Amino acid sequence: MNKCINSDIQEMLPDLLHGTLADDARKRVEAHVATCESCQEDLDVLRTVKSAAIFAPSIDVDGVVRQIPPYRTIVPAIERPASTRVVSWLVAASLVLVVLGGGSVLMIQSKGSQASNSTSYSQVQKPVAAGSEATKLSPQESVVVPKTVVPVVAPNPHALALAADADGLSDGSLVQLMNDMDGFDALPGSEPDPVISVDSGDSL
Amino acid sequence: MIPSPEGRPDDTDTELINRWKAGDSRAATQLVGRHSQALARFAASAGEREGIEELVQDTFVRAFASLDSFRGASTLRTWLFTIERRLMLDRRRAERRSRETVPVEESDHVSEYGALDGLIAEEAQERVRKSLEALSPTQREVFTLRVQQGLSYKEIAEVVGSTEGAARVHYHNALKTVKEFLKDE
Repeated sequence: MNKCINSDIQEMLPDLLHGTLADDARKRVEAHVATCESCQEDLDVLRTVKSAAIFAPSIDVDGVVRQIPPYRTIVPAIERPASTRVVSWLVAASLVLVVLGGGSVLMIQSKGSQASNSTSYSQVQKPVAAGSEATKLSPQESVVVPKTVVPVVAPNPHALALAADADGLSDGSLVQLMNDMDGFDALPGSEPDPVISVDSGDSL
Repeated sequence: MIPSPEGRPDDTDTELINRWKAGDSRAATQLVGRHSQALARFAASAGEREGIEELVQDTFVRAFASLDSFRGASTLRTWLFTIERRLMLDRRRAERRSRETVPVEESDHVSEYGALDGLIAEEAQERVRKSLEALSPTQREVFTLRVQQGLSYKEIAEVVGSTEGAARVHYHNALKTVKEFLKDE
């Protein structure tokens, strides 16, 4: 027996078995099979396999259906109602407002604190420059003076006098001043930052 | 057109799905009744012996829970076969893992498909069973889906995660093997 070479027909044999072919295709396949031993043999094998369907237990349809959750319990998890979405947006907007408002308040407080610091700083400066002709300090001096926190942190009568008279000192007096400064007590290692020292001075 | 309150036997799967989504639980009964035996046969022919009913049930529960993802690109039955096949693979992997920790016994040497011993009574069925046993797992899946379930190659490719061409090759190789086996018997 020769092997059939009509692959189109061979492909449709299972469909013929299941009756899923359109009428014209079914007639064409049946006409071919009637004259082709190879396809007849294949069809017999397929028919045997199909009829020998493996044993399978019958399924309790109602039991299966009882286990299926109703559709409505699944929907909310996937798609929330519009009212829930609106509430979510309102909550989110409120949080943004709180954060922005809080930030603004903090910034304002921070600026106010800086302003008061600068005010107190000038108040601290005044006694330093009091009695001097150079009441307007140069930028360098204005930076240097806060670093010498001696008058604020460790009040020393010599320091105040020395600082007040520094502008009019001669070279010899300056040398004397330097020597006096060497004699000051060493500042502790954990000395706070000069800016903080000014603050602490402010509180005094 | 207003659908009739009672389910009609010629309702399409899509119509039944829409009715179930609208709250008609009888549509679910119709869908399960329409496809459950095919799923059970597929599981049995794929080598499952125990827990077929549970497997079918799990398949439907999972399918109904994700029915919104079913776009109708394939038939509902093909989609159900795909879900069931994945569950079977998961189950076999779990069994394999448990066997790695449990001492192997004599009965464990029976092949997967050999577990169907005693379920097929007729002599012809016994011959068919043996011929199918000679196939590779993929050949067996493809062949039974094509011959016993009547799926197209496109649908089979979706179920087994392959291509139509590969499914066609598996089918023809399986047919050749089964034919030779039955001829020799």
